[in-house]
Amino acid sequence: MKGNNGLKIFLVFAFIAVMTYICFAGSLFGIVKIPGVNDIVPGIDINGGIDAMLYAVTEDGSKPTQEQLDAAKTIIGKRLDKVGILDRNLSTDVNAGRIVVQIPWAPGETDYNPDKTLAMIGKTALLTFQEVDTDKVDENGNYLPTDRIVLKGTNVVNAVAAQNPQTKGMEVLLELDAEGRQAFSEATARLIGQPIAIFMDDQFISAPVVQAHITDGIAVITLGNRNTEEAIAEAKDLADTIRSGSLPFKLEAKHVNAISPLLGKGALDVTIRAFIVAFLLICLFMIVYYRLPGLIASISLFTLAILTLNFVSWMGITLTLPGLAGIVLSVGMGVDANVIIFERIKEELRAGKTLKAAVDLGFRRAFAAIVDGNVTTLIVAVILYIFGTGAMISFAYTLFIGVVISFFTAITLTRTMLFAVTDLSIARKPWLYGVKGVQS
Amino acid sequence: MIDLMGKKNYYFALSILIFIIGIVGLIVNGVEMDIQFQGGTIMQIEMPDDNFDTELAADIVRNAIGKIATVNKSSTFNAENESEKIHLMVLNIASDDTLTEDERTQVIDALRKEFNIAEDASVSVNSVEPFIGKEFRINAIKAIVISSILIVIYVWLRFRSMHGLSAGVFAVVALIHDIFVMFIAYVIFRIPLNDSFVAAMLTIIGYSINDTIVIYDRIRENSKLMHKTPIRELVNKSVLQSLTRSINTSITTLIAVLTLFVFSVVYNIQSIREFTMPLVVGLISGVYSTLFIASPLYMLWQERNIKKRAAARKPAKA
Repeated sequence: MKGNNGLKIFLVFAFIAVMTYICFAGSLFGIVKIPGVNDIVPGIDINGGIDAMLYAVTEDGSKPTQEQLDAAKTIIGKRLDKVGILDRNLSTDVNAGRIVVQIPWAPGETDYNPDKTLAMIGKTALLTFQEVDTDKVDENGNYLPTDRIVLKGTNVVNAVAAQNPQTKGMEVLLELDAEGRQAFSEATARLIGQPIAIFMDDQFISAPVVQAHITDGIAVITLGNRNTEEAIAEAKDLADTIRSGSLPFKLEAKHVNAISPLLGKGALDVTIRAFIVAFLLICLFMIVYYRLPGLIASISLFTLAILTLNFVSWMGITLTLPGLAGIVLSVGMGVDANVIIFERIKEELRAGKTLKAAVDLGFRRAFAAIVDGNVTTLIVAVILYIFGTGAMISFAYTLFIGVVISFFTAITLTRTMLFAVTDLSIARKPWLYGVKGVQS
Repeated sequence: MIDLMGKKNYYFALSILIFIIGIVGLIVNGVEMDIQFQGGTIMQIEMPDDNFDTELAADIVRNAIGKIATVNKSSTFNAENESEKIHLMVLNIASDDTLTEDERTQVIDALRKEFNIAEDASVSVNSVEPFIGKEFRINAIKAIVISSILIVIYVWLRFRSMHGLSAGVFAVVALIHDIFVMFIAYVIFRIPLNDSFVAAMLTIIGYSINDTIVIYDRIRENSKLMHKTPIRELVNKSVLQSLTRSINTSITTLIAVLTLFVFSVVYNIQSIREFTMPLVVGLISGVYSTLFIASPLYMLWQERNIKKRAAARKPAKA
């Protein structure tokens, strides 16, 4: 029996030690890389950055289609590529007719100007097909624009990625309007064997070589005889880009939240300090009030904090300030289950039960109330996740994770440790459980 | 035994007093909404010190773009150098005049000419068009209503065995009490409503009901053990038995939230302060409403039922 308890306690502490190590070192003893607290993605409200909603502004006020939004998203991506902003998150919301752009501030970006960035990505895309001089290339070997324009983006009625039924290779099919058909026919007659380059704004996109004289306004850009995933993605990207040139709208940022990195850093610092102080105060309260079980609850609480941070890191959840507040809150709430159990144990002890029986009953009788309490909190966390915006989604996540983990730490871990300890004769004094002398 | 339930009228009076203060506050202050819920533009520009003329800044903005801005001074904690604060100029532009990117750039350029704004000064912008604010507002209301309904259903399911409906209804009365008290805190302290308001509300909706469940759970357990005891004594006993655990669970959560609140006040972190202050109020109200509102109401209701039943039986005997 005693040996068994020793093993259990050893396993519990080994588990806590390993989790703590992973949390702070970000690896398993340097052997395997496991994300820890330093790998958590900080939100824009902490690290600074832009969170914006770009709305398509059409002339007739109609909403853009999913295809149009995808095309617009592609342009934004390309424009951000060009200025070296590679870390970003773009998503479309067709019901609201908007594109959500999130750009975290990158350390070292001295020119932090959210408004210029937004103006740059929101302007109407200028897509052109241009004749090029084959000897004029930039340092990457891409053709330079010549302003000898063959086609404008608005001449393209549609552009789709497709698979060639014969070669199985990927291609992009272009359909041109009447004006475009004529211009393209004239140009392809003249430029057989030469490239026509596609530019977005002044950025080089692609330079297919003219294979034949095209008179029907249906052009095909062949991307080789491949149908790998890569080629499919490339074809879709090219089609989206070309289509973006005929988008009948510009994008305006109607919701902008641009946070300077300076302010967020201070807020993070303060919140982490508050977290540590809150944790210590709760432990102090638990130990003073509940003594030995309080100490055990504090160990469980420490595990709760470590595990929550680890899960946030493993699941790649962006941690915002409200998200961090959610962790602090779940530490405060996570210990509730232990309060309920320990109060019950005290009651059973006062009623004259033996320590063993009291601890056992304490856990069993308190269980229903603990489940009730946690389920209601989980319900609101899910609702917050569904309806929340921006930084609040992180709060919903951390609250949910914290509550789920507290089931494990406050019940399983606490019980294992408490059961093992109550077997030791020195740990059987009622004083250690905050009860003055057991009455019969 | 302390007779907690005997003083029930004082508890009800206190809550009514708070509500009256809240309603007066609502009439005087009105409800303030964050630009997130009603639209508008807020710009925070880093300044070298707090020695600048806000009226001059407002004039400059009006001359540059022809829109009216309210200009204030603010400061916040500097993580890099704790002995110094970050000084900010805060421009606030009303909802129907939301600034475009170009206008914001013009504003900053114009302010630069007059004020000593560093080349790499940090600028934060929060700008929301009114129609998006409305969308967020509707989402917020949906979130609060739906989670309240789900919680009510959950409570009802859990308490079917224990004169279910009435217990559930009083748990919800306590819940509405807490939500209202929190809302009053927002009104009295003029905290603008935004999505941290929604998060704070939902947290309390989920949390405050737990306390009530714990007490009702105890009443349920005791009513099985001592069905001869008068209902008043039963409820009183149950409340006393659960008093420590109700208070202690709230204390631990309160320690967490209060620490965040104190830190955010000391270091002037607005977002955390606005989130935690209502939580503190909601947590305290949650314990109070469980012990002193939900329990006596339940007791009164059961007493009334018993009297009714007794009255119904008497004529039959006679």
